[in-house]
Amino acid sequence: MGILNMLGSGLLVGSMLVLAVLIIVTIVRSVLGPRIADRIIAVNMVGTMIIMLIGILSVYLDENYLVDICLLYAMVSFLGVVVLCKVYTGVYLQRKQLKADLGAVEDNLKRQSQKNEKDVEVP
Amino acid sequence: MVLAWMRFVAAAGLLLLGLVFEVLAVFGVNRFRRALNRMHAAAMGDTLGILFVMLGLMVFRGFSLDALKLFLVVAFFWIASPVSGHMISRLEAMTDEDLGEILVMDKMLEAGEQETRVQKVKAQEAKGQKAEGQAAKVQKAEGQAAKVQKAEGQAAKVQEAKA
Repeated sequence: MGILNMLGSGLLVGSMLVLAVLIIVTIVRSVLGPRIADRIIAVNMVGTMIIMLIGILSVYLDENYLVDICLLYAMVSFLGVVVLCKVYTGVYLQRKQLKADLGAVEDNLKRQSQKNEKDVEVP
Repeated sequence: MVLAWMRFVAAAGLLLLGLVFEVLAVFGVNRFRRALNRMHAAAMGDTLGILFVMLGLMVFRGFSLDALKLFLVVAFFWIASPVSGHMISRLEAMTDEDLGEILVMDKMLEAGEQETRVQKVKAQEAKGQKAEGQAAKVQKAEGQAAKVQKAEGQAAKVQEAKA
């Protein structure tokens, strides 16, 4: 069993090292990426690989609670990607002077003002 | 003992398969040129890579509550990854103004490999327009020929009158 334990820990450490190298390569891509979508994709991949890393670490250290951290990290990473996409869509629309979201607000305001005018005119 | 070795070999195989998928995903992300192609490579790592790594860890750990939690991570990823991919692709499709100029199908058409339905319709429309243009040209040519005949006739009349 001693040989098996040594082999198992060696396998886990080796895969963690491979994942660390892949994370560095992906971070380089996220710095180099010409467009903002490339950077978001690279950051998403870094999140995926860190989740694998935490899972492997939980088996290596034999700690149960690290799996919960893994699940939480997945949720936070997903939320981060969604928020980044929303933010950069808004930045693009604002730079282009397009009012995709503000248009609805203005429409509501216009409609309310028309309603108020009608109310004033009736009496 | 043999069972433990078999379990170890299975776990190592699954873990290394997941790592291979992840290496391929990173290679693809660094190799492709456009963001949408990069998403194609990254989605492979998000689904198959994490599936095989977590399966390997489950086999390594033995089936218990922790293995169930690791499977929950995979299930969450398989639900969340398409959604985030949709958000990223929508961002890219909205902000990239050169996206319409990807001429993959046109190049394939030039190579004579394949023809999509839309391109067939477009080609037929172009042919129809060309045919209409040719018909118009023919009519114009006939009209010109008629004019030329008229002119010749007038010239002949003028010559007769001179004579």
